[in-house]
Amino acid sequence: MSVDAGSAAISARGPRIIIYGLLILFAVFYLLPLYVMLVTSLKPLSEIQSGNMLQLPQAPSFYAWEKAWGAACIGVTCEGLKGFFWNSIRMVVPAVTISTILGALNGYVLTKWKFRGHKLIFGLMLFGCFIPFQVVLVPMAQVLGRLGLASSTPGLVLVHIVYGLGFTTLFFRNFYVAFPDELVRAAMMDGAGFFRIFWRILLPASLPIIVVTVIYQFTNIWNDFLFGASFTSGDAAPMTVALNNLVSSSTGVKEYNVDMAAALIAALPTLLVYVVAGRYFVRGLMAGAVKG
Amino acid sequence: MAFLEIDRLHKRYGATEILKGIDLDLDQGGFLVLVGPSGCGKSTLLNTIAGLEQITGGEIRLEGRKINDLHPSRRDIAMVFQSYALYPTMSIKDNIGFGLEMRKVPKAEREAAIARVAKTLQIEHLLQRRPSQLSGGQRQRVAMGRALVRNPRLFLFDEPLSNLDAKLRVDMRTEIKRLHQQTGTTIVYVTHDQIEAMTLATKIAVLKDGKLQQVGTPAEIYNRPDNLFVADFMGSPSMNLMAGTVRASGNGAMIQLAQREGSIALQIPPSVTARDLPPEKKVIFGIRPEAITDIDGADRHASQLQTIEGRVDVIEPAGSDTYVVTQLGGKEVIARMRAEASLKVGDLVPFAFNLDKALLFDPETGYRL
Ligand SMILES: Nc1ncnc2c1ncn2[C@@H]1O[C@H](COP(=O)(O)OP(=O)(O)OP(=O)(O)O)[C@@H](O)[C@H]1O
Ligand SMILES: [Mg+2]
Repeated sequence: MSVDAGSAAISARGPRIIIYGLLILFAVFYLLPLYVMLVTSLKPLSEIQSGNMLQLPQAPSFYAWEKAWGAACIGVTCEGLKGFFWNSIRMVVPAVTISTILGALNGYVLTKWKFRGHKLIFGLMLFGCFIPFQVVLVPMAQVLGRLGLASSTPGLVLVHIVYGLGFTTLFFRNFYVAFPDELVRAAMMDGAGFFRIFWRILLPASLPIIVVTVIYQFTNIWNDFLFGASFTSGDAAPMTVALNNLVSSSTGVKEYNVDMAAALIAALPTLLVYVVAGRYFVRGLMAGAVKG
Repeated sequence: MAFLEIDRLHKRYGATEILKGIDLDLDQGGFLVLVGPSGCGKSTLLNTIAGLEQITGGEIRLEGRKINDLHPSRRDIAMVFQSYALYPTMSIKDNIGFGLEMRKVPKAEREAAIARVAKTLQIEHLLQRRPSQLSGGQRQRVAMGRALVRNPRLFLFDEPLSNLDAKLRVDMRTEIKRLHQQTGTTIVYVTHDQIEAMTLATKIAVLKDGKLQQVGTPAEIYNRPDNLFVADFMGSPSMNLMAGTVRASGNGAMIQLAQREGSIALQIPPSVTARDLPPEKKVIFGIRPEAITDIDGADRHASQLQTIEGRVDVIEPAGSDTYVVTQLGGKEVIARMRAEASLKVGDLVPFAFNLDKALLFDPETGYRL
């Protein structure tokens, strides 16, 4: 009996070691670029040109970070990324907020206030999720022009809201489909109206799906390059476009440490969102699979 | 004019007609129970009263006012749902107070009302909890509290006890009855449990396939079912229904029922109102198990008692009584005898039929004769 148990433990340990070994290997593999970026951003240029990529910095400094943030030349101005960083924030906050709220309302209506043709509407919205970015560029540019929003942050916000709506609606609809109709009916009999029911009954129960939607939208919108490059210009550009300009504007020597620092600054907000809300993200994706 | 009046109510989903012309009324303080088999339209009828479903025809009036087109929130009707439908993110207190809050009742008044209802239902110690932290019976109380606190004109209950275990169900049944007697509220209650229907109702409406079969007091429904469906549906064990034939006899007519060997003849029950029962007419003879007893257990006040011999097929002791199964009219017939009656399977014993309680039905139409 005890022998059996012992050998079972050993035979279970064998595959376990292999699995963990592989997992660690892949983790290292994926973390390596991040590591290189981080150490490079902390090294002075001379050390980069002479040394080994993987070596730790001998004399770490935040020079490159400061320059990337406040002094690097992007196009003709040399004021670093900071202006563009705020552009991105000004774009991402309203775009994520509005598209999430609208998605929640859409999901609510499509599941709890069904109307004739609700399936068709939802189908079309889903279809919208599959339209490639490139296809909408020209018509979108025309619409923005008509609206007088060309080359502006509000214009970009509008584009992201419209493009994200299909996804946010999908998320919320699938979440609310599982939400009991009887609760809505009970609230109705209690005297609550359309918005009250949404605000007091559904929304408080929606935290997991809100987190999922916010993370998804935030990552997509923050990282978007194509819309940013197409619908803004000059000082109105978002972070991603500025980063590209910074890295590709080749005046003088290539400052790898500044490029790396700039790239890390660009990636920081999405990282932050994952760290803060990632726990809920997984939970949200699982919601519905397990009944709470 | 009754308190609640339902007039030729029709409801269809697409092409299928679910409610086919319902006429019902209920006086103030009444307790109307809707019973019927699954899918007969009980919930649908309740939802149309609540306003949660639109109706396709007819009229619903409350205190003489037509309410068909009124939004559910404007009807001043409260409903207790089968799933309880407690708001999961609110405390019990907020659950109960939500309806008052929506109706803009001032906070102090609201708190007082919540406290009063919590006291009645003995859930004061639960007020700070969430619904997920309650047991089934406690949730049930909260759901009732949420309806009670608003003091509505009409209460609707949709199978409120069906999610509870047997013991708790009996307790809550008593509680609902007590509540009704104390507060004198008007209630429409859906169930497919006919014992619940019998014990709670002042008026029962039996529904089948979207049509009312019979409306009456529990005693009327139980003792004088209008048709075979109601006779069979109400009561447990259900009424014995045996196929028989009218035979001419010296001083009138008898009902002949086939036994396993031979046959017996029973007198026409006094309940039969039909004038002419032509000889050879096929009938269904209906009698409840408690009206077939051993001789000593027979009702002394019965005006028409007839004893026949039958063979005991099965004996089912049920504590206070013993159910005895024999065969008559080609069917198993259940009799209810005293526990003391000494019986053995295979014995030929006398069965006393209390014909006062017997009924005759027309097998073709299903109606009582
Ligand atoms: N939204 C709907 N669309 C189409 N048919 C429906 C809809 N809702 C209910 N029905 C049908 O209406 C009939 C009556 O349903 P209802 O829920 O009123 O039955 P019930 O008497 O309450 O049954 P149960 O005892 O099982 O609760 C059923 O046959 C059901 O399939
Ligand atoms: Mg039902």
